[in-house]
Amino acid sequence: MKKWISGAIFCLLIPAVVLSGVYLFPARQYAFISLCVTVLSCLPVFIRFERKETGTKSLVLISAMTALSVLGRVLFTPIPGFKPVTAMVVITAMYFGAEAGFMTGSLSAVISNFYFGQGPWTPFQMFSWGLLGLIAGLISEPLKRNKLLLSLYAAFSGVLYSVIMDVWTVLWADGTFNITRYVAAIIAAAPFTVIYAVSNIIFLLLFSKPIGKILDRIKTKYGL
Amino acid sequence: MKAFGNIHPSVLMMYFLSVMLVSMFASNPIIQAEALFGGALFCLCIQKRGTALRDAGFYISLFLMVAVTNPLFSHNGKTPLFFLNGNPVTLEALLCGVSIAVMVIGVLLWCKCYSEIMTSDKFLYLFGRIIPKLSLVLSMALRFIPAYIRQSRRVSRAQKAMGLYSGKSISDRVRNRMRVLTAMISWSLENAMDVSASMKARGYGQKKRTDFSIFRFQRSDCALFAVCIVLLSVPLVGMAAGVTDFTYYPGISRIETSPAAVAVYAAFGALSVLPSVLEAKEAIIWKYYVSKI
Amino acid sequence: MEILRVEDLSFRYPKAEKPALSHIDFTVESGEFIVLCGPSGCGKTTLLRLLKKEVAPFGEKTGSIFFEGAPQESLTCAGEMGFVQQNPESQIVTDKVWHELAFGLENLGVPTDVIRRRVGEMASFFGIENWFRQKTDELSGGQKQLLNLASVMVMQPKLLILDEPTGQLDPIAASDFIATLQKLNRELGLTILLAEHRLEEVFPIADRIIMMEDGGILLNGEPRSIGPGLSKLDAAHHMSCALPSAVRIWQGLDIGGTCPLTVKEGREFLKRNYSGQTVTLPEPEYLHEEATVEMKNVWFRYERDLPDIMRGVSVKVYRGEIFSILGGNGAGKTTALCVVAGLLKAYRGKILINGKQVKDYKGNTLYRRCLAFLPQDPQTVFALDTVRADLSEMTEMMEIDKSEREKRLDEISARLGISHLLDRHPYDLSGGEQQKCALAKVLLSEPEILLLDEPTKGLDAYAKQNLRDTLRELKATGVTVLTVTHDVEFAAETADRCALFFDGEFISADTPRKFFAENNFYTTAANRMARELWKNAVTCEQVVECCKSVGGAK
Repeated sequence: MKKWISGAIFCLLIPAVVLSGVYLFPARQYAFISLCVTVLSCLPVFIRFERKETGTKSLVLISAMTALSVLGRVLFTPIPGFKPVTAMVVITAMYFGAEAGFMTGSLSAVISNFYFGQGPWTPFQMFSWGLLGLIAGLISEPLKRNKLLLSLYAAFSGVLYSVIMDVWTVLWADGTFNITRYVAAIIAAAPFTVIYAVSNIIFLLLFSKPIGKILDRIKTKYGL
Repeated sequence: MKAFGNIHPSVLMMYFLSVMLVSMFASNPIIQAEALFGGALFCLCIQKRGTALRDAGFYISLFLMVAVTNPLFSHNGKTPLFFLNGNPVTLEALLCGVSIAVMVIGVLLWCKCYSEIMTSDKFLYLFGRIIPKLSLVLSMALRFIPAYIRQSRRVSRAQKAMGLYSGKSISDRVRNRMRVLTAMISWSLENAMDVSASMKARGYGQKKRTDFSIFRFQRSDCALFAVCIVLLSVPLVGMAAGVTDFTYYPGISRIETSPAAVAVYAAFGALSVLPSVLEAKEAIIWKYYVSKI
Repeated sequence: MEILRVEDLSFRYPKAEKPALSHIDFTVESGEFIVLCGPSGCGKTTLLRLLKKEVAPFGEKTGSIFFEGAPQESLTCAGEMGFVQQNPESQIVTDKVWHELAFGLENLGVPTDVIRRRVGEMASFFGIENWFRQKTDELSGGQKQLLNLASVMVMQPKLLILDEPTGQLDPIAASDFIATLQKLNRELGLTILLAEHRLEEVFPIADRIIMMEDGGILLNGEPRSIGPGLSKLDAAHHMSCALPSAVRIWQGLDIGGTCPLTVKEGREFLKRNYSGQTVTLPEPEYLHEEATVEMKNVWFRYERDLPDIMRGVSVKVYRGEIFSILGGNGAGKTTALCVVAGLLKAYRGKILINGKQVKDYKGNTLYRRCLAFLPQDPQTVFALDTVRADLSEMTEMMEIDKSEREKRLDEISARLGISHLLDRHPYDLSGGEQQKCALAKVLLSEPEILLLDEPTKGLDAYAKQNLRDTLRELKATGVTVLTVTHDVEFAAETADRCALFFDGEFISADTPRKFFAENNFYTTAANRMARELWKNAVTCEQVVECCKSVGGAK
């Protein structure tokens, strides 16, 4: 019963947001709606995580992986765009499943922004990193087996991240989806997108094996 | 930063969300200007002078960049100023660019204030009730990060002293950091197991948890909450009714000056300077207090 | 009343050949203060973890544990038995002190107003008020461990189990911690079971000592009976080195009488048996070779606005000597070491390594066959998943011929006695073993100068002796050793010269005998006991030797 109600509320929330956007902020309704829908789309995963029984060890491991991805962002601050966050999220997803991947991704966004500054981009980062983790968790088995697929996914995640973030930039600035600005934004961000993609490939290829080993060791030593 | 920061987190959160939402999405230039002014004023209140000056440089260049480039992306508008590569550069697009720049900078300033005031413990307190498990995960991660950063410095130092990638070239630096990160993964996961032992030793997961905090909802918080609600509802109702609608394309519309619109401007203006006013009031009271002693 | 009873407890880790514990039997009375000691790897930690079922390790267990008469399996409340681990850092769960204190009570579902009261009460008892609202990360090691203790105590346990809680603390923080435990035991009647290897302070305040060896109980009795008990087993038992100085001197003299435990008792014991005038033993002129490390008027600070840590330090360290830098916590000893190692840059002054300025060593040249640095935490040295991998990486780095690499690796592991550890993961080793492996890795760079930061931290007495022997062997091969340490006893036994680092400067640098004889408080326990008879006898061995040389007891 409770589940059903929350489902219904959820279904009602999205139209409510759309309507309020149309009335409240007519000039920038798309930006408003996209922001709210992004936030709302993270909620079901969070709620599921809250409800489910999670072992203490997995809970701590999610925190540790989140902290590690933030540490990665801090360690590589001097090199713009070259960040291991996505790689950490994907690796977590590969070894701990889609949900843990989503959580690590979205929490990394919230937490690293405690250090690097919160802003309207926070929900979009949460969404994009979370989504990348979620997808990686769903295809974890092939990712573990196939290096080529892993590199492809790494490149794809670099591009997807940029593309999602640019959509927001354009919507926010123009209120509508201005295709010229979008193209300009993508071109302007292209060098970074390339660095993202390349750094993702490097980090994933370098780290997925050793981390896998480490995690396996921890699993046998502490009985996860 | 004393007066406003000491307000109950729930009131703070509501305040920031509403101000940021309105300033992010409202298109009326008066509202945007008010948001920018309020944000800048409060930033000045809570920041050190030196950083404020440095930031000002950044914001001004950002302003110019956004405002000037807008006509390149948008060729709408009916008053062309001149033509560039056969495309019209219109007055409307230029002014719209200014408006976007004002809005973006206003929001950035408010985000800065938010980061300054809504520290992680307040954030966690708010979400601790609704999403206890998640907020515990967040709290642990926040606790791990400084420890990890410290440990990674030690690791980097130790590796350097063994002559492993201790040169100054970029490739050495990248490889050094890669090593540090790998070493840190082992260390942190091992450490995480100790943490989970410590949690279990203190009974985590045995019963339904309660949620303790040191924040208390006081009467003044209640009053402020009411003020915020009133000041927020006026612009929301006004905007929903369309009294402050404003468009740049095809032509720039007139700024509404009907009594309803003026009420919206006044209410939002009051809302956006509220923190600075509180801050100033506290400063004056303190001065008075000190002079009495 | 009996609070804990362990009956015929045995335990074996998965895949382990021999059991970690075999046939352990003992009981704990309510209100007792029991100290559990023994060399690392003897099963102390395993035993303590088994007592607390929430953190019990995986493996085969036989025998039974009763808590307040009921079998352990039937207990439901985690709060009744408090557990504090060794590393202060890794037990803290949340980011704020107040939240950490409340964490256990939140888990038990205690209403928030009760939590508020209990947290307030505990914070006052432990003197935490001043840092109640701070971030847990900003605390010192001692404060962190005190917080761990307090956040267990809020749950009002009946039995407190502590696994080497002072292992990572400096001596002053460790004394404070032990004093707090004593207060809890005396004023609240709390039952305490403490595993500890620094016995100097806990021996006199314990009600009972349980000494373990190889997974079994060797001795179990009141503190005064341990010295005689051990002597009875074997006159030169290898565990004697862990005992308090007073007990060791008593054992060494072997003239009977009650066994002294404290410095005060030890001093009376010596006076009773060997009275006479204060003698200063002759000390030969210190002979040395040329300087290998030289600092000339070195100034250092971390940032422009922060105070100076080194204020015009000038010192010479000679080739082939073991030089110990002593000093209080936060005095900047480690910083000084990092400056010598070229990891931090002094803003004024010269640092000469073999006559050449540190900054003139380009690239990695300083760390190749010249200078090596072993940090406080040996874990920071490892980056790979076996000790062997870590070591062979180093041989690669040294550009040794491929055929030679294997040989070099075997040589160094044989020398440090770690051959059997090579295929293990560094994190699966004990603190002492980790340190030996880290030292092996560092020594593969064939240094002439070896810098060690707090090498005895977390080590038991046996591992310390081992380290001392290793350092002496290195010295014999001509290596200059520069250590930074809190450990007065270790410095007295090992060093050729000691120096006190205080207020950004070296106050004095002298041979241990001269150095400690001048000090009144900052000296070894053995020296404090015997200084009225032999002013400059600083180690237990020296005191025993002097006593014996004057011709036995009165």
